[in-house]
Amino acid sequence: MFKEIFRFELRQQLKSPLFWMIALAFGALAFAAAGSDTITIGGGIGNVHRNAPYVVVQMLTLFTLLGMFLITVFVAGAALRDFDAGTAELFFATPMSRSAYLGGRFAAGYLAAVGVLIVVALGLMTGVLMPWVDPARLGPTSLVAYIYAFAVFVLPGLFFLSAFLFLLATLTRSMLGTYIGVIAFFVLWQIALVTAGNLEHRTLGALIDPFGLGAFDLATRYWSASDRNTRLPELTGILLANRAIWIAVGAAMLAATLALCRPDREGLRLWRRKRPALATAAEPPRQQTLVLPVATLQTHAAARWTQFLKLAWFDTRGVLGGVAFLVMLAFGLMNLGGNLAFSNMVYGTSVYPVTHLMNTAMDQSYTFLLVIIIAFYAGELVWRERSSRISEVTDAFPLPDWIPLLSKLVAIASVIALFLLAGCVECTIYQLWRGYHHLEPTLYLSNIALAGLSFLLLGALALFLQVIANNKFLGYLLIVIYFVSRIALGQLHFDHHLYNYGSAPGTPYSDMNGYGHFLAAHLWFSAYWACFAIALLVVAALYWARGTAQGWKERGRIARARLRVPARALLAASLLGFIALGGWIYYNTNVINRYIPGDLAKQQKADYEKQYRQYKDLPQPKITDVKADVDIYPHQHRVDVRGHYVIANKTGKPISDLHMRLPTEMKLVSVQFAPHDVVSDDRVQGYTIYHLAQPMAPGATMNFDFTLQFWSRGFRNSPSDTHVVDNGTFFDSFSFPHFGYSEEGQLDDRNDRRKYDLPQLPRMPKIDDVAARQFNLLGRDADWVNFETTVSTVPDQIALAPGYLEKEWTADTPDHGRRRYFHYKMDKPILDFFSFQSARYTIKRDAWNGIAIEVYYDPQHAYNVDRMIYAAKKSLAHYSAAYSPFQFRQMRILEFPDYASFAQSFANTVPFSESIGFIADLRDPDDIDYVYYVTAHEIAHQWWAHQVIGAFLQGVTMLDETFAQYSALMVMEHEYGPQKMRKFLKYELDRYLSGRGGEVVEEEPLALNENQAYIHYRKGSVVMYALKDYLGEDVVDKTLARYDREKAFQQPPYTTTTEFLDDLRQEAGPQWSPLIDDLFTKITLFDNRVTTATAIKRADGKYDVTLKLHAAKVYVDGVGKETPAKLDEPIDIGVFARAADGKEDHEKVLYLAKRTLADGDSSITVTVDSLPYEAGIDPYNKLIDRVSDDNRARVSVQ
Amino acid sequence: MLTIHDLSKTYANGVHALKNVSLEIPNGMFGLLGPNGAGKSTLMRTIATLQDADSGSIHLNDLDVLADKPAARRVLGYLPQEFGVYPKVSAEAMLDHFAVLKGVTARGERKAVVEALLRQTNLWDVRKRKLGTFSGGMRQRFGIAQALIGNPQLMIVDEPTAGLDPEERNRFLNLLAEIGEKVVVILSTHIVEDVTDLCPRMAIISQGQVLLSGHPSEAMRALDGRVWRKSVPNAAIEDFKNRYTVLSTRLAGGKTLVHVLADARPEDGFEAVAPDLEDVYFGQLRHHAAPARAA
Repeated sequence: MFKEIFRFELRQQLKSPLFWMIALAFGALAFAAAGSDTITIGGGIGNVHRNAPYVVVQMLTLFTLLGMFLITVFVAGAALRDFDAGTAELFFATPMSRSAYLGGRFAAGYLAAVGVLIVVALGLMTGVLMPWVDPARLGPTSLVAYIYAFAVFVLPGLFFLSAFLFLLATLTRSMLGTYIGVIAFFVLWQIALVTAGNLEHRTLGALIDPFGLGAFDLATRYWSASDRNTRLPELTGILLANRAIWIAVGAAMLAATLALCRPDREGLRLWRRKRPALATAAEPPRQQTLVLPVATLQTHAAARWTQFLKLAWFDTRGVLGGVAFLVMLAFGLMNLGGNLAFSNMVYGTSVYPVTHLMNTAMDQSYTFLLVIIIAFYAGELVWRERSSRISEVTDAFPLPDWIPLLSKLVAIASVIALFLLAGCVECTIYQLWRGYHHLEPTLYLSNIALAGLSFLLLGALALFLQVIANNKFLGYLLIVIYFVSRIALGQLHFDHHLYNYGSAPGTPYSDMNGYGHFLAAHLWFSAYWACFAIALLVVAALYWARGTAQGWKERGRIARARLRVPARALLAASLLGFIALGGWIYYNTNVINRYIPGDLAKQQKADYEKQYRQYKDLPQPKITDVKADVDIYPHQHRVDVRGHYVIANKTGKPISDLHMRLPTEMKLVSVQFAPHDVVSDDRVQGYTIYHLAQPMAPGATMNFDFTLQFWSRGFRNSPSDTHVVDNGTFFDSFSFPHFGYSEEGQLDDRNDRRKYDLPQLPRMPKIDDVAARQFNLLGRDADWVNFETTVSTVPDQIALAPGYLEKEWTADTPDHGRRRYFHYKMDKPILDFFSFQSARYTIKRDAWNGIAIEVYYDPQHAYNVDRMIYAAKKSLAHYSAAYSPFQFRQMRILEFPDYASFAQSFANTVPFSESIGFIADLRDPDDIDYVYYVTAHEIAHQWWAHQVIGAFLQGVTMLDETFAQYSALMVMEHEYGPQKMRKFLKYELDRYLSGRGGEVVEEEPLALNENQAYIHYRKGSVVMYALKDYLGEDVVDKTLARYDREKAFQQPPYTTTTEFLDDLRQEAGPQWSPLIDDLFTKITLFDNRVTTATAIKRADGKYDVTLKLHAAKVYVDGVGKETPAKLDEPIDIGVFARAADGKEDHEKVLYLAKRTLADGDSSITVTVDSLPYEAGIDPYNKLIDRVSDDNRARVSVQ
Repeated sequence: MLTIHDLSKTYANGVHALKNVSLEIPNGMFGLLGPNGAGKSTLMRTIATLQDADSGSIHLNDLDVLADKPAARRVLGYLPQEFGVYPKVSAEAMLDHFAVLKGVTARGERKAVVEALLRQTNLWDVRKRKLGTFSGGMRQRFGIAQALIGNPQLMIVDEPTAGLDPEERNRFLNLLAEIGEKVVVILSTHIVEDVTDLCPRMAIISQGQVLLSGHPSEAMRALDGRVWRKSVPNAAIEDFKNRYTVLSTRLAGGKTLVHVLADARPEDGFEAVAPDLEDVYFGQLRHHAAPARAA
């Protein structure tokens, strides 16, 4: 029986064109994803092969997941077939068993779903074999990986999914109900992912992901490229648990289906409502004469309007009143809730829920969901009358075609509006719950308008496609094709919003600058696409299905017949508006401004390198003096610069050619210096070569005067001109002329480089490169410069630049009215690295030991200003005492808008993004105070960069970033204690370890790192903290102070990490040399863990705690190959008592000492005074260990 | 007067649904009789503006139905063979909704119309009930109520009595008869009694062609003296079918009653009967089927 049903069902599945359509579409997608970068679904990055086992597993799992919505058709289709076809009663009247019936149907549906994935696997396999795939990015094809992926992820994943769908379909007996279930499930899964993203919930997140992707990520999180190319995760631990759990859940659901399925007409009712007995009493005789009041059928405009309103309301109510909508809304809000709770965390500390972040959270959590919902309802609504067969009646009504069409649009708009409004309410509640009372209803409303409009445009398109396709599933397929093509166009760098339906530049928002001038650009594009959408709707009305129209010819004929005056006029007007606005947009984006698509930008970078890299080592003068008059016109988004350099030939050779670089955004109005010819003036690359009439002799100096202008006129295709804005201008010395070739502008992605025919990325100069020591980290064209500037701005803003304010005044100008001037001057040389800012600031002033401390901030963001000042004081105090006196008389922190989120240290000046410190919510004392930390880090740069700067070669960033990290860590530890450091360092360790997996070139040891952020920041923190732990803070500080003393304000040749390590070895003593090597000049990983921890209470009341341990050390090369090493440093052993409140932060240390351990397994016993709770090896995670959670274990007391 | 002239329609799958159909239909009930698949629904849907013909024309008085569909829809009342309702909406709300869609936008007027229609169709007492709970007859009456909104000049009623019990059917036909006093009502059916009982004029349609059109009584008169009846054993039917033009067979008391069309008494045991419309109907069908069989 089972066999027959199975065979019958499988035949049905394989006969269905939908199966083949989906299988082929998926196969093609997999083929494209495997063979090109155009479509990216997971995949290999950097050194990971395109067909690496890791990639195969990841892609197949992602496709399993992606198939969720389409596979529903097979599996739920198998469950519903007999109910839909009305054959259920025929089947249930036969003497077959329920289990054979359900089992057969299920097995066949499941097999169809597996079939799709097999096609996907074939697509992946063949995709990488194509001739255009770079063979350098392929490894050997691993059949084992495919088998593993199917066995561990695909088959169990599909089993769970199919069982789930089968259960849903059997219970609801409706495709709609099943789909809602799928959407609900999808959203839940998303939440699982978000949860998994948060460090502290990673294990839980990995367990609750039914597809195992989270567990897979967890298992492979710290894998190096070579791991990813060769290994498959072992089926143990969380991964095994995850697979087992979800197979069991799938089996349970299948069993539930068997138990709950009732093969009768009623189906399963979860709740039985008692229906009142229907009145079937004899009907009274009808009035004998047929008299009907005369009703006139109105056709005037007012009547049409009434009809429209009524029908729109009817459709809207039909949608909003449905359980489907409520369920989806509930899930949307749940998703948003998850997003609100977990996003915007920095080191686990949240920010104040300012309204624009709420809007961002809402956009993020809705985008995908609402897109699906809109596409879904477009199909439901267009087919509403037909699927209920009410169209048989209403199609013959004298109702114009546009009325039902627009009613559907209104219903979709209501769905969108309700989602957004409910989201706003939820966000507001969240804000109040977080104790945040600065509500901005108008900002919510404007976001509803902006987001709503873009969703509505999508709705119009979805309606259009459904009407034109005239087949619901074809309509859905068209929408999916539209989404895929949009992604593909983006990948192919066709990213102009002029041809991406409904797209617009976006409106980056900052509390300081509001929507700024980006809003207008966005609205122009929106209006442009709105015109197009209107045209689509007119066409949809022309093709609106009414009665039975068959074939394109007939539908076309009907459409032409319907194209009467009003439709024609509207169509013409909307197309005219579309063209006119398009022209206006083109004029702005491509004529006034330059539109450079991504591939062209890469081409230009490649050309830059090909043309000019030959001049890399050409001797060029260095800047010694910078003087500039900078006029900022915030509301015109314009800056005028009149600059003056003194440049000197510090080389031993005469210089006859001057190579000047200037960003292409900056217009060079004029330039004046010694007599010269222009050899070439490349405006595309911003590279100009001058030939000096009289070569500059060694040691000679020369004046170099220039006038520049930046003016962002009109609008652009993307909101990229964020530097000069109405409130919150911020730009730096990179907008000024520089000399000689710079490697900054080169293509650095190695695949891009191959594509554009460039050799492998030239690496940083080696640590022992003597010539490179002539130049410091910041560039080749300056050492230390004298700096002076006069900045002007509008009267209600304050303009700032490094230096001390000499004079401030206002004056009337002939062209620009009243302006405010600030004259800044530095009394000692600084690095050639300066910034300009202008905004409406509030100022808070304080002082430490005669050094002025000032914070310039937006009045809305006063929250952490005192904290910053406090941090500045503590930092200045600590660094002055530990390293050397502060070189300036004043320290300033300046807020800038949310267009970037970093803080940066210029001489006596720290621009600080509004998003990373000014709105941090530090009210919970248990959270990491990253405002304190970031401030301390930036102020540390006044020493580690602005005093000591390294030569531009390997390891250089250790000398500024790693030292700034360490300095800040110490300031933080003194304030918050070592317990807090563990929490912080755990984040740093995690980010270092995951950074390794994303390495595209080669991992280097800390002291040789090549400006690799995950090394110089993240590993740097961990390494320096471990160093301090072994050597003691005083030894480290003494070394740093000595190094600072020796190297501060040094002229070339500049210092290197070798010099620092020499100092360190001397200060530490020879016994620490192996440790210093492990930390700084090798990549060292530990595998430390506690196997068991037991305690026995002694007669004297003390406890003997015995730890069974595993300790091991490996050295790793640049691509992740490991070699075992001998364990030669002692490692912390700790025993802890439980804190009264149970929080780990408050635990009591019973025992903590460094012990020398044997390689591999060993056992150790220590005696403690009171009841132990936890014990561990390296319990504070000071050493780099890929699994940090197993360093501690609960002590079992016997 | 509804004038259908030379209407033809061939579907994409090659089915020739209408072949040069021409009919003149005056005010009053007009019965359209034919077996399943004869093209009745195609014709009805074409008149109801829901489908286009390949050629031919339909005029309601001066109105060109196929060319000016919006105008045609304003004078049309259509009860399709099968139609759905929103099961969770009450009869009254649904009818009100339909009235708006038809163009009765004045609130007071609409209220009066809806009430009158519900009363006339005997649905007044159940007007608050959800349509999903209606019986087949109630649904058909609701269907006729919606078709009557706006005093249509042309009523198209497609197979309305299928599935109704006799009492419901009677009630329903009475209602139609009254409507038919004033406007053109086209009633398509495969149930002969519906036409006999109601329609002063009729047409028989089969395989897309009009076989006969006119008054039922005249059609019956044409068969006077040519219809014979005999009670025969079940086993003998095949034999009879081969020998005579059998109009119909009906079981009666364990035996089969056979109607045969013949100019003279075919054999012993046959008795002459007065022809009814069913004899006409089957006569026409057999007559047109016979040449095909011969070929």
